[in-house]
Amino acid sequence: MIKPITQSKILNNHLKRVISDDAFAAKTIVVCSVLKDVFAYSVRYKTTMENKKIPEKRRPFVAAMDLASGIVTAIAQIAVGFSIANPKLQNALWNKMFKNAQFKHIGAAKKSFATILALIGSGVITERVLVPLMATPFAAFMERKFFKHIPPDTPHFSNYPFEQNSVFKKFKQTKTSVPQA
Amino acid sequence: MKIPSVTPVKFNQRMANSLEKFSEQGGEKIANYINAAGKFAIAPLMILYNPFTNESKENKKWAAVKQPVEAVVTIAAQIMSLNLLYKGIDKLAEKGKLNFKLVQDAIKGGEIPKPILDAVSGDRTKAIKNLQKTCLDIFKDRAGTVLTIALFVPVLAISNRVFPIIADLLTKDNDD
Repeated sequence: MIKPITQSKILNNHLKRVISDDAFAAKTIVVCSVLKDVFAYSVRYKTTMENKKIPEKRRPFVAAMDLASGIVTAIAQIAVGFSIANPKLQNALWNKMFKNAQFKHIGAAKKSFATILALIGSGVITERVLVPLMATPFAAFMERKFFKHIPPDTPHFSNYPFEQNSVFKKFKQTKTSVPQA
Repeated sequence: MKIPSVTPVKFNQRMANSLEKFSEQGGEKIANYINAAGKFAIAPLMILYNPFTNESKENKKWAAVKQPVEAVVTIAAQIMSLNLLYKGIDKLAEKGKLNFKLVQDAIKGGEIPKPILDAVSGDRTKAIKNLQKTCLDIFKDRAGTVLTIALFVPVLAISNRVFPIIADLLTKDNDD
């Protein structure tokens, strides 16, 4: 099963490019990291809204936060990560920081330097500082707009978007006003 | 009086050494470490002290506590399972079951990527050995990403169980 993979053109071209191009290597790790985030936020959103252990009145905001963060994070991280991986910026920074330093494997060190900086830029500064700044008000907006506070015993309607029977979906289907609870 | 000058070379060298040590971990693990550190230390502060939102303080506390709990559960699960995966891949490679076309071509006299060849100043035997190791490391990283993604389902389920307990303890929710 593994032989077709190790012999495949796609994997071998990928290996070649990662070895020869530091910026590409850093960008690949950034994309992998963003893919993980997108997946994680979707799962997180789903588990939060099904999590009965979070008090009913806290849940909409926690869930809205997950959803909003996922959307904003993917776009912002790719933009920042790719800019930091840019070879011109990398060379300038490298020369400034490690001009006189000794390396055992300078090639490997340069590659991880690009990767680490791109990851800190996208995964720490963008994802943790910029995204929450943007996502928190976005989440509050989504909570107001789509996560209606309906008494839990109301039949057929759920409090969350993208869930079956959600107010949001029902609203879209009927194109009339949201049913009164 | 002569002010002793700071020796930037020494500082640079220390940074350089840490960079080399850290880079041995491989991209996937590095990505996970950086992610967990950011989530643990910065994410909760950003939720709590975001000036652009009027969300209630208790709501924010709940969302904030979720971050470090998730970071700890995630990094522990990731590193444990990545170590297992990497060991498995190493075993496969030892048995000779991971033969990358790029390496096979190089053994037959084909092209070796320039950075690898340059690092050993043109010694082909050494270069082929390094190429095999580098290819294996990149392969581990990509397989690791797939594993990390698959792990999110159980990991988030666990952290969703744990975090309301901790959040309840910390926030003393009085306004229910």
